[in-house]
Amino acid sequence: MSTSLRHGALVAVMLSGAIATVAAQTRDQREATVGMRCYVEQKVLPGTELAAAPGDFRALVAVRVVKIWPHGSQLRYDLEWTGFEPGTYDLCKFLVRKDGSSTDDLPALAVTVTSVRDGDDNEPSEPEPVPAPRVDGYGTDQIVFAVVWVVGLLGILFFGRQRKAKAAPPAPRPTLADRLRPLVERVAGGDADDAAKAELERLLVAFWRARLGLGEAKAGDAIAAIRRHDEAGVLLRQVEAWLHMPVPPQQVDLKTLLEPYRAVTADSFAPLAKDGTKGATGGAR
Amino acid sequence: MTAPEVAPAAARFVESREFLHQIKTRVGQVVVGQDVVVERVLIALLTSGHLLLQGVPGLAKTLLVAAVSKTVDLAFARIQFTIDLLPSDIVGSEILDQKTHEFRTHRGPIFTNLLLADEINRAAPKVQSALLEAMQERRVTIGNNNFALPAPFLVIATQNPVEQAGTFELPEAQLDRFMLLHRLEYLKPEEEKEVLRRNTRLGVRREGKGAVARTEFDVLDGQERGTSEQLVRAMEDVQQVHVSEAFLEHVVEIVNRTRNHPKLELGCSPRAGISLVKASRARALIHGRDYVLPEDLFALAEDVILHRIRLSYEAVAEGHTSQQVLQEILGEVAR
Repeated sequence: MSTSLRHGALVAVMLSGAIATVAAQTRDQREATVGMRCYVEQKVLPGTELAAAPGDFRALVAVRVVKIWPHGSQLRYDLEWTGFEPGTYDLCKFLVRKDGSSTDDLPALAVTVTSVRDGDDNEPSEPEPVPAPRVDGYGTDQIVFAVVWVVGLLGILFFGRQRKAKAAPPAPRPTLADRLRPLVERVAGGDADDAAKAELERLLVAFWRARLGLGEAKAGDAIAAIRRHDEAGVLLRQVEAWLHMPVPPQQVDLKTLLEPYRAVTADSFAPLAKDGTKGATGGAR
Repeated sequence: MTAPEVAPAAARFVESREFLHQIKTRVGQVVVGQDVVVERVLIALLTSGHLLLQGVPGLAKTLLVAAVSKTVDLAFARIQFTIDLLPSDIVGSEILDQKTHEFRTHRGPIFTNLLLADEINRAAPKVQSALLEAMQERRVTIGNNNFALPAPFLVIATQNPVEQAGTFELPEAQLDRFMLLHRLEYLKPEEEKEVLRRNTRLGVRREGKGAVARTEFDVLDGQERGTSEQLVRAMEDVQQVHVSEAFLEHVVEIVNRTRNHPKLELGCSPRAGISLVKASRARALIHGRDYVLPEDLFALAEDVILHRIRLSYEAVAEGHTSQQVLQEILGEVAR
């Protein structure tokens, strides 16, 4: 076999392979469900050039001419179609000639459209009745709200007052005299701890603050004034010496020192006269 | 029964009492009517605490601190705090020596005994922190080296309570480092008159061929000074002042009441209690006692506690002040 023949055979084989590949890729989809896009390709149709019929929203099938090639004296088409209603249709019925001539000579190009839904399932559901939004009545709302607010307020006021009236009155705080007396007894008896002794000292300062009318003075100024006072100063310094000196002086007799405070009553806290003498109600001593 | 004598100091404290009395007398020659402030400075000095003075300008804060440093022979430095001050301006820095090509340490003005930090709230927080760290640890770090500050080391800071624009308020944690915050008040009219009278007698000081008007700062020059040994002895004596259990009960009672008071959002820290006891011991020594009394506690409570408590929002809205609440607490303690 000559070389040219071998080359010719090789080309023929390659061409036939290419044609077979193209043929294998050609789509000829004749059956589809509603709404699916399908293709019929490489279809040779006789006569002059065809085009898709003008659009109609009521059309049951939509056809589009994708591509056209010359095929001898005829033309070869790639068509795209989509069915909208179940049934069998001839695609050629949806094509027209560009030159306006008749398409009666075209062969039938049947396609089938099927539905995946039941036949009686095509009607839409009845819409649910929705009440219309209210567009007035705010004045009424305001009146209702105001009435509720006033009723609530009155309820709170009167209910609260009744409850307060019913609540037991808080236990009265023990008076200074009530707190001072037992502490004096404890300390004089010798069974007081440091906290009790410190409390006693604070109460004695409070006692003299009340007696000397120093309730409104600053605490520091009040103590300084008490220490300067003839009677209170001596007594307070004795207590301070007993409580705070590293070695309390020997002459401090605790029982004698606390004796003036053992019988304090509420009257004992009456302020002294301005000249420093004891008030009419008596004093600690 | 006769009242025991509680005022005289124990014999062992006589020397320290005399030393402290001399300081007060000498300072009193230049500073009029600020006895309480002088006492507070001495308390801070004796307890190694720090003091924050709050008052408007012109109340002789600087003069007072300078006078104390001169009467005790202490090194004194003053830093005017401003917004552009840097931490290195206070503690010092490392400087490259052009001749030796080595870094050498330049120590800042903090290396002194008595440091006056004027208007501390005008400096940026990082500068305040640098100073407050040194106050707490009494050491500073420059580069890779750690230096101990001289002993004694006392910071007396000032702040102006009225001019707050462009200032950085010290937060509670930093205020807590100051043992005392004393609020200076204007002088009484007769004291003010005495200030003017003394000022008219100052005269001028000749310098070479010229002369300058003498100031109160010149008055103490050339006078006898106390020694640092005397100061150290006084500091040791403070540690010998007796604190009774009853006094500790009073301190704990007051501190606890600040923590539970409904008008206070922040009460006293344990450091406040410690400061109360330390300051009371120093005050007792200054007043010639070798034991503390409730009088010391009540006299110092405002200066020790007031800057450590914070009012609640409701109390502020109702118009209460910290001072009122503290007096309420102190009053309730003895009521």
